Amino acid sequence: MKYARMGAAMAVVAVLASACSSTSSSPAASAGAASAGASGGAGGAAIDVKVGIEFPMSGGEAPNGVPSANGVALALSQIQVPGFNITINQQDDAVNGQHNPQQGAKNMQTLVNDPQVLFVVGPYNSNVAAAEIPVGNAAGLAQCSPANTNPGLTKTWPSYDYKALRATNPDKNNYFRTATTDDLQGAAGADIAFNIAKAKTAYVADDVEAYGKGLADVFVTSFQKLGGTVVGRDSIPTSTTDFSSFVTKLKGLNPDYVFYGGVTTSGIGLFRNQMAQAGLQTIPMGGGDGIVDGAASVQSSFLQIAGDGAVNTYGTTAGPHSLASDATPSPTDLAAAYKAKYNTEPGAYTAASYACTQAFLQALKDVGPAAGGDLAKLREAIRAYLADPSHTYQSALGTFSFDAAGDTSQKIISYFQYDASTKDWKFLSQRDFVKNPF
Amino acid sequence: MTTAPTSIARTWRPSDRLNGVISVVVALFFAYIVIAIGAHEQATDQFTNALTKGAMYALIALGYTMVYGIIELINFAHGEIFMCGTIVYWWLLKTLNITGTITDPLALVGFLALAFVASMSVMGVVGVVIERLAYRRLRNAPRLAPLITAIGVSFILQNIVFVGISNSVVTVPRIIPNTRIGIGPIAISQINLFVIVLAIFIMIGLHLFVGRTRLGRAMRSTAIDREAAQLMGVDINTTIALTFFIGSALAGAAGVVQMVYPGGAATKFDLGFQAGLKSFTAAVLGGIGNTTGAALGGFVIGFIEVIADVYGFSNWSEAIVFGTLVIVLVFRPTGILGQRLGDRA
Repeated sequence: MKYARMGAAMAVVAVLASACSSTSSSPAASAGAASAGASGGAGGAAIDVKVGIEFPMSGGEAPNGVPSANGVALALSQIQVPGFNITINQQDDAVNGQHNPQQGAKNMQTLVNDPQVLFVVGPYNSNVAAAEIPVGNAAGLAQCSPANTNPGLTKTWPSYDYKALRATNPDKNNYFRTATTDDLQGAAGADIAFNIAKAKTAYVADDVEAYGKGLADVFVTSFQKLGGTVVGRDSIPTSTTDFSSFVTKLKGLNPDYVFYGGVTTSGIGLFRNQMAQAGLQTIPMGGGDGIVDGAASVQSSFLQIAGDGAVNTYGTTAGPHSLASDATPSPTDLAAAYKAKYNTEPGAYTAASYACTQAFLQALKDVGPAAGGDLAKLREAIRAYLADPSHTYQSALGTFSFDAAGDTSQKIISYFQYDASTKDWKFLSQRDFVKNPF
Repeated sequence: MTTAPTSIARTWRPSDRLNGVISVVVALFFAYIVIAIGAHEQATDQFTNALTKGAMYALIALGYTMVYGIIELINFAHGEIFMCGTIVYWWLLKTLNITGTITDPLALVGFLALAFVASMSVMGVVGVVIERLAYRRLRNAPRLAPLITAIGVSFILQNIVFVGISNSVVTVPRIIPNTRIGIGPIAISQINLFVIVLAIFIMIGLHLFVGRTRLGRAMRSTAIDREAAQLMGVDINTTIALTFFIGSALAGAAGVVQMVYPGGAATKFDLGFQAGLKSFTAAVLGGIGNTTGAALGGFVIGFIEVIADVYGFSNWSEAIVFGTLVIVLVFRPTGILGQRLGDRA
């Protein structure tokens, strides 16, 4: 009885304490730790906020998600915003080792329901983004992807109706990305095939998913525009592990180049592996950023699975590799810091994730003090700041801004080729499609 | 009270055999024509691809059909047993430190024999253990209980591999040199030839075992009527365990095939799900409970898939396979070689 009364008294004190603090929606249980210092401002205790991370982190997706998530963590550890104590709410949208849109939508809802989450970095895959954007849009939670490249997420495109994704709040854009889009990446793929690999004929395959099919379709039109011929076009379901009928087809078609639109978890590594088995590794193969997922030493990367077939392969990423001198931090500094913290090289999208986080931190610095400790107000203020196309950001990718649709102003695609001496992707060149349109 | 008649029990007459062989030859010829129209010079290669794929599906389908024939359980864990067979092979390669093709023919034959014996015996034992632990108690339970248990076992096996071995693709070096053997005007990769011949050999062996030996007779009688067989002195538990052993051993053999043939050489913890689904479809297509039907169904599905790929319908291949199943079942509910369900006195 005595303890029950003491417990009740403590509960009352806790409730009063949380009521006294400014209209923060933190639950009563954490009232003790929460900002008991009422009217926010730098004078009071730091406000606890979170950045949500939504990537596929397990199984075959680890080479994609983990370096990207680490980029966010690294940015948060290096850049402080006074008055705010920023932690991470990490989610994984991989189910059984493969990215899953339904899981992504669930994770987004979890992040939306956490009132401290002001911003989400992710996801990695375009089809997962299509499931998440409506959730974030309804809640007004800003989301920045370092890697989504499907154009249909922000503009008119056969794959998705970008307006329907934002149906709840069409005037309040909440989706941004620091990667550019596949209409450029597909054209870049054709550029590599025709101009670098000097191919006149190409066989094109995709993994039926939104990203892969979209990329392959753009490749086809771009390659034909350059003057090449597409001799075969197949859509191969992601569950396929036996590509022998396609390898046999290739033997008959004997194209100068094979282009695959898709991600490694859809089986492209096995396809290349089986091509090599049949002696077809002499035919160059290209893909998009879905296959640029790490060196041959990285478990489940495309290069690792392709084995002997890794030779003669090309890939692209939807962002700059060779960065302008105004990149902050510089690529060498970023790589050094990443290596010091994680004991390995940064991934293809580490810098882009870092840039997303920098945009958020800049927004928070700007709007944070004015919002008081009101988390809901902060969330909307961050979103509005990012949605304003007049803002520019100094980032690890250089200077960029988000346009009205949420796309980055940087339209650069980087070209990579497999280097047998390092067993890794080697940067060839990059093309700025603003200065050098297709 | 008779259960649904199963064709393990049906006796062959000589005219049946002749009709069967003729139909198969005609069907293969027709399939070759269809492939040739789409694939031109690659027709022979694609034909061999179809036979190889079909052989693998058939090997797995046999296990499904045998277990169903004897205890009327669809063993959903069977696909995972196939997947575990691939893991046994991978483990063997790793332990023996083999990293490339084996060029010495004697060593190659020796290793393959070892791989098959190891995989088949290990998976056979695993199959028997699963039956003993998970299914035996449920033999007389309502049909749903063992079905759900089988699904549970399949998840358990998947997870053991997911956590214990790898959560993504595991590739292995190919050990058989990819030389092509000329048979008359045709050149076939020796790996494909090996797989097809092996599969046919196994299927004929199984057919003879079930049809001609005492143990096979025990299996057939248990399939027809369990109580009567017991009254005749058949040890039901041993017979059923033997069925599981053979079925799982076949899945283990299919696992080795998967790791050895050109379109495989890789495994993943969820490989069993897809392969099991297609093989189960093959077993149903051919007539569940009928071993010849299972083999037939396996080859039919192999051909459907390759023909779909040849003609550019690869993204529809799954739809076509299951669509074929539905259409066949609509007109012949017991499958192609299944017996018509009728009233038996």
